[in-house]
Amino acid sequence: MSNATLAGPRPRGRDSPPSADSTPRRRRSGWWLLLAPILAFDVVLFLTPLGKLVGASFADNAYQRVLEDPLVLRALVNTLTISLVSTIVTVVLGYVIAMVLWRAGNVTRVILFAVVLLPFWTGILVKNFAWAVLLQDNGLVNAFLQGIGLTDAPIPLLHNRFAVIVGMVHCLLPYAVFPIFSSLTSIDDRLGLAARSLGAREGSVFRRITLPLSLPGISAAGLLVFIISTGFFITPVVMGGPGDMMIANQIDYYARQLTDFSGAAALAVILTVMVSILVAVYQRVLKAGGQHEDN
Amino acid sequence: MTASVISAGSVPRSGRAAQGAIELRRVSKRYGDVVAVDELDLTVQPGEFVTLLGPSGSGKTTTMMMVAGFEEHTAGSVLIDGSPVDTLPPRERNLGVVFQNYALFPHMSALENVEFALRMRKVPGPERRQRASEALDRVGLGKMGDRKPRQLSGGQQQRVALARALVFKPAALLLDEPMAALDKRLREQMQEEIKTLQKSLGISVLFVTHDQDEAMAMSDRIVVMRDGKIVQSGPPEEVYNHPETDWVASFLGDTNLIPCTIVERDGEEAVVDLGGLGLAKVRDRGASGENYAVSIRPEHLKFRTRTSAGNGCAATLLSSTNLGATVRHRLMAGGHELQLRELSSDRGAGIVPDEELWVGWDADKAQLLVLES
Repeated sequence: MSNATLAGPRPRGRDSPPSADSTPRRRRSGWWLLLAPILAFDVVLFLTPLGKLVGASFADNAYQRVLEDPLVLRALVNTLTISLVSTIVTVVLGYVIAMVLWRAGNVTRVILFAVVLLPFWTGILVKNFAWAVLLQDNGLVNAFLQGIGLTDAPIPLLHNRFAVIVGMVHCLLPYAVFPIFSSLTSIDDRLGLAARSLGAREGSVFRRITLPLSLPGISAAGLLVFIISTGFFITPVVMGGPGDMMIANQIDYYARQLTDFSGAAALAVILTVMVSILVAVYQRVLKAGGQHEDN
Repeated sequence: MTASVISAGSVPRSGRAAQGAIELRRVSKRYGDVVAVDELDLTVQPGEFVTLLGPSGSGKTTTMMMVAGFEEHTAGSVLIDGSPVDTLPPRERNLGVVFQNYALFPHMSALENVEFALRMRKVPGPERRQRASEALDRVGLGKMGDRKPRQLSGGQQQRVALARALVFKPAALLLDEPMAALDKRLREQMQEEIKTLQKSLGISVLFVTHDQDEAMAMSDRIVVMRDGKIVQSGPPEEVYNHPETDWVASFLGDTNLIPCTIVERDGEEAVVDLGGLGLAKVRDRGASGENYAVSIRPEHLKFRTRTSAGNGCAATLLSSTNLGATVRHRLMAGGHELQLRELSSDRGAGIVPDEELWVGWDADKAQLLVLES
């Protein structure tokens, strides 16, 4: 039987509520062939190495060995706390920038976009060293603080956790600004007008309309930024102290200093599993939060 | 500030009939060199349904936005119930606004949408829910309170928007093309429902539309706007039957425009020379300009016999088109192409076979107007 009659979209009155069964079902064989190129690419260049890595991680009691290493545990805790703080700071700052971009006029918007994108196009080493120059003991920031008489001696701004987070936030900001900005621009301007006509002040408009409707952007930004954070490697080296090393630094240490490749592989697997669990929990929480909002 | 909002929000229903006067005094809106609204004078009486009718770019929506407080006027004054509101933000003007696409909050249920204004006025929870569900009941959506806007049809969304705009008992209701997104049948149904609701609440309405049928069907008074100015205002029948300019006549439906010269003007009546159609007596509203024409609506032209009284002329039939309820005839008479529309059920009434075709009209259905174009 020809299913040509079923293939067309079913005419639906403009006034009928959208129904779930209105999408025509197409059964065509061979659709997976369209996926074949990307599948082949993934299998050869991603899944195979990943499989080898996972395989290597089970050799020589690697897991037991790395988990008994106090430096590894320290690095794991560092990774989670630094990533979490960086993510929160980045999303909050990113939200503010996205709001300004959203409300800005055309010219301001172009300039701000350039300012946000510039670090995006700049190498991470350049950015980190630039911050190092600014934050060092005789750097611009300390000179300024002493100049206005706020401090007598330089305060330590570099080679500590604060510096790592500053460096990371600077790199991560564009990843937060763009998802949030795009969710803000998808909000109908008239919703704000309607809320005002119904008696809302600016604060209520933000809290009850703008913020809840930009939640998808915030959650996307949070997820993206957190996942990227956990893999930071150069920033802790350039800007952190000895106590701020993250898991990527440990992997590097195992692979290059100790040439313990199964240990490095085990660390990579631990990091991946840990982040996956956190992401799953995060999405659960967000989903539940979305269902109970405003009650 | 908050106190005034709360007291306005809790005014008893009986006290509202006296409220809701909107007045615009020489209100202008300029964007740089562009004048969007030009020294507009407009009054909406308490309980009156006034429609701003005009093509896009005529300034009608800008006018409404200035009343609502979303746009600042550059000159003049807006008054609600006699007191100027020029410096008041929208939230303190106590006006219910329904937007073109309803602007329902997508993340809130229908009930929460309606509750919003009461929440902003700090009405306690139980009373808030009670009043919001009453408002939903009033628009026939009592059982749909839990649904999100996207789960509602266009007509239902509009009802929610109406309930939301009415629940805090505003001084007046502002409607910005609220039916543009609905199909024809639903639009007609909603027109009636809004009209009924408006009458039962006795609330004043400022309605913005470009749809002349909608304006005719709903308004107590139509204000026709063009290029930021009012070109004519009055009850629907008056504006329709007695347009002052050819632009108003054509904007409010089909019409026959016959250029003429004035022979004699005498108060409400004038005698004009219609060229090939001879001399005719027509209605006159005293409008003056350089060139004149007479407007006769197609439904006011009739087939007649030569001996009938009144204005008339021999004609030849060019074509006839059946439009369902009506039939449209194109005729040539006195060197002018005319349109005549009659009910399908009366098709050909007045035509006497084997006699010359003759069209005529009643003097009070022909309107003298100024030819602008």
